[in-house]
Amino acid sequence: MKKKNDAFSRLLDWLENGDQALDTEMEESLSDAFPAEQKSKRKKKAEKRKTVPKNASAPRRAYADTWWYRACAVLICLSLIGLLLFTALRLPEFGTADTLIDSELTEFYVKNTLEETGAVNIVTGIILDYRGFDTLGESHVLFIAVCTVLLMLSVRGEKNEALRLKASEYERHFEPGDDLILRSAARILTPLTLVFGLYIIFNGHLSPGGGFSGGAILGAGLILYQNAFGYEKTERFFTYKTFRWVSVCALLFYSAAKGYHFFTGANHMENGISAGAAGNILSAGLLLPLNFAVGCVVACTMYALYTMFRKGEF
Amino acid sequence: MEALNVILLLFIIVCAVAVAVTKNLLSAVIIFMAQGLVLSVVWILLRSPDLAITEAAVGAGISSILMFAALKKIKAIGGKEEQADEKEK
Amino acid sequence: MLEYLRLGLFALLLLSGLIIQLTAIFGVNRFRFAVNRMHPAGMADTLGLLLMALAAVVYSGFDWITLKILLVVALFWITSPVCSHLIGRLVRETDEEHFEAEAKEWKP
Repeated sequence: MKKKNDAFSRLLDWLENGDQALDTEMEESLSDAFPAEQKSKRKKKAEKRKTVPKNASAPRRAYADTWWYRACAVLICLSLIGLLLFTALRLPEFGTADTLIDSELTEFYVKNTLEETGAVNIVTGIILDYRGFDTLGESHVLFIAVCTVLLMLSVRGEKNEALRLKASEYERHFEPGDDLILRSAARILTPLTLVFGLYIIFNGHLSPGGGFSGGAILGAGLILYQNAFGYEKTERFFTYKTFRWVSVCALLFYSAAKGYHFFTGANHMENGISAGAAGNILSAGLLLPLNFAVGCVVACTMYALYTMFRKGEF
Repeated sequence: MEALNVILLLFIIVCAVAVAVTKNLLSAVIIFMAQGLVLSVVWILLRSPDLAITEAAVGAGISSILMFAALKKIKAIGGKEEQADEKEK
Repeated sequence: MLEYLRLGLFALLLLSGLIIQLTAIFGVNRFRFAVNRMHPAGMADTLGLLLMALAAVVYSGFDWITLKILLVVALFWITSPVCSHLIGRLVRETDEEHFEAEAKEWKP
């Protein structure tokens, strides 16, 4: 059996054999990277570790097979379940008349969101105005996730030229886009999906939805387009450059707008953005552009993750 | 309405335990997808449509698609991880 | 009188839709091959959904909500047969023991 070198089998090896196998592999790969004069120190350390193993004769047992490990795992699970159930049973009743009186934070949000932010949808008002900083962090986390996937799965990063060409050809051979029925259905479905996603983004402050769900639907529409029409046609409008420009500009705009809003709000200055009449689409101050920025980031993230998994490149 | 809530929540619990216990990886991802869908219905019953839309689009849609793509990458799309080994022998 | 008629029609449509869905679930569970299982699943998505949607239309009266329900039915009627087609095509291309598989070969 050829020893596979992808991440999953290495993880399984590490779980079974402990860290000895990983150390020797890392040693080998490091010795390629580092020049010869530093090799001697590392080699001495590695040889010392190899000649004095802890259990020379007996093979190391996996911890997951022992009885005390499993007992501890079950106990920890049960205690966490008990803790969460205890907390959930102490929450106030759902939908009764005195729910607002129990918690003054809920009461504050329900009474003051419409006047202070101008958003009819209280949830969007909270996540983009009162707790807008948290949403900024979440958008950055999405961007970091795509960067990590780009690091690990990018075909362009392969140093071996032959491997790179082979991987890219393999992915492109089984490319989608040759099914007539799917193409005909996608001709109707894709524009409707994209328009629906944009509608949910833009109406985030008036009706349920907002940036995250609308962005996910936009991403799903782009994935459908790629699956129905093939790689060539999708690369005409969505390349790596597109992803980079759209994500970075959206995140920078979100940071700048939210920073300006927080700065003027904290220093009790007047920001020049009016709340508008509640119920209009151009109301609620900065909420509409912020929703759009979040939606852009989420759509790019969803499509980027899918196409990295599928093709290995943009 | 209480009975419907209880049935759906029991279904979610059973699905969650089944995902952890199943040996076939493809079945585990499909059960996870079904659990996301029923969770979306539970959010509707708890009167939060924002969460329902997001859970349906992300949990039962995109997250499961990414898991299928990941299964394809580690060549476990037939269900077991040893299938790729047996084919290479 | 008319109210009872409406209620009766609503119950009839809902029950028949429910029976079709249950039959489809039972069929998907009990058939053996993937192409056999695809057949009741496709019927549940199209016919069962149509009957349940008509039940919802009868229950809530003719209003703008009828259009929304019929749009949901239209969406499922476009997507579910395409899914069945793709499943059948996948089985045709990858199943080696039951079909002469027209698998896509890749030579490096």
